Amino acid sequence: MHSASEQDTAPFVHAMGRALPPHYASQEQLIAMLRELWATRHFNLERLEELHRAVQVGGRHLALPLEEYPALVTFQQRNDAWIRVATALSEDVVRRALAPAGLRPTDVDHVFFVTVTGIATPSIDARLVNRLGLRDDVKRTPIFGLGCVAGAAGLARAADYLRAFPEHTALVIATELCSLTLQREDLSIPNIIASGLFGDGSACVVLRGARAGQAGPRVVASRSVFYPDTERIMGWDVVDSGFKVVLSAKVPQLVKDHIRGNVDGFLAQHGLKREDVRHWVAHTGGPKVLEAFESALELPTGALGRSWASLREVGNLSSASVLFVLDETLRTAGARPGDWGVVMAMGPGFCAEMVLLRW
Amino acid sequence: MVEPVSQQVLAEIRRIAIEELEWKGAIEPQHDLLLDLQLDSLGLTVLAVGLENRFRVKLSEEDAVDLKTVGDLIRLVEARAAQSAEARP
Repeated sequence: MHSASEQDTAPFVHAMGRALPPHYASQEQLIAMLRELWATRHFNLERLEELHRAVQVGGRHLALPLEEYPALVTFQQRNDAWIRVATALSEDVVRRALAPAGLRPTDVDHVFFVTVTGIATPSIDARLVNRLGLRDDVKRTPIFGLGCVAGAAGLARAADYLRAFPEHTALVIATELCSLTLQREDLSIPNIIASGLFGDGSACVVLRGARAGQAGPRVVASRSVFYPDTERIMGWDVVDSGFKVVLSAKVPQLVKDHIRGNVDGFLAQHGLKREDVRHWVAHTGGPKVLEAFESALELPTGALGRSWASLREVGNLSSASVLFVLDETLRTAGARPGDWGVVMAMGPGFCAEMVLLRW
Repeated sequence: MVEPVSQQVLAEIRRIAIEELEWKGAIEPQHDLLLDLQLDSLGLTVLAVGLENRFRVKLSEEDAVDLKTVGDLIRLVEARAAQSAEARP
């Protein structure tokens, strides 16, 4: 059960922003482009087209115009493009989050920057200090490697921080340019599936400590779950040309096997049951992952409607995905004071992160 | 002497399982694809695509319905390869 003091120190999700790169390609355009590449190794191209259609993604926003991708061959070329676009997109998303909330960059005390699609030192958050005019005493925590779980985990870690510093304001920025990790020469089935599912985008959450400003839902609690000995379920093999995807079909089964017990245990700690939760904010892992969430948690029809819609509209944006769904929930769910919500995502480790919200 | 097609298919299944699916056990025709080889949907797709590429055949969803063992898969690929050979002018 959550105590009164726990509630008193719970930070607020004050505002959010989303940004997508301007270059958009429909799934059929992408299939047409990739077909020629697939034909260099594969015989049954219809099967591969079906794999791309089965992920139920309508299209993706891309970091670069389609015609610029073939020239990206080396890790350096891919990562240089990543730094350039990730910095610009992250700057854009922070401005979109702060301005409508009436906040300035100088109001920010701590920046948590999460990504798994590129690397930079100084990290992107450092570049944002210069571009946005953040204060020179701003704290920065770049987080690399959590993958799809990092949107929920970043939210949770920022909330942990704000419990200790309740006067502070923190940003969680999740910027993922999955298209720049695509290994064109890797014509393995996992990579072909990944090239049909993942898209590019950035999300920003403005969190404020309990004594900084009280608007939006509170982050009441969070729970991390690690699944032992599942390291090859998802991740990167780092190769000379960049990040080569590791993706197992066991992900939906892991969700089916564990998420119900994880969620029930987490909610029980706070005196809650699944039926008390009105807003479910699930990472858009893919159709099979969303179906696994729905069946394991016995969710009512439409409970994950925003996740399905986001998957269809922009694809799986890795860590940014769950934050896109959270932003849509804040804007359109018509949440009432007292409503409970659960944010949940899974990622490499293999692991899960759950965040409990109260409006 | 030319190796029978069935032996070539079995050899290719073993290669794909070891090189692409990180399988470390034995593979014999009587083995069950799901129970013994522990193939999931992605594993079955990787196997099917590998065989299609090597033997220039197309395997469909309907084909998969009656497949249970490695032997079933060998016979299917063998039959498809024979059909492809007949169709060639």
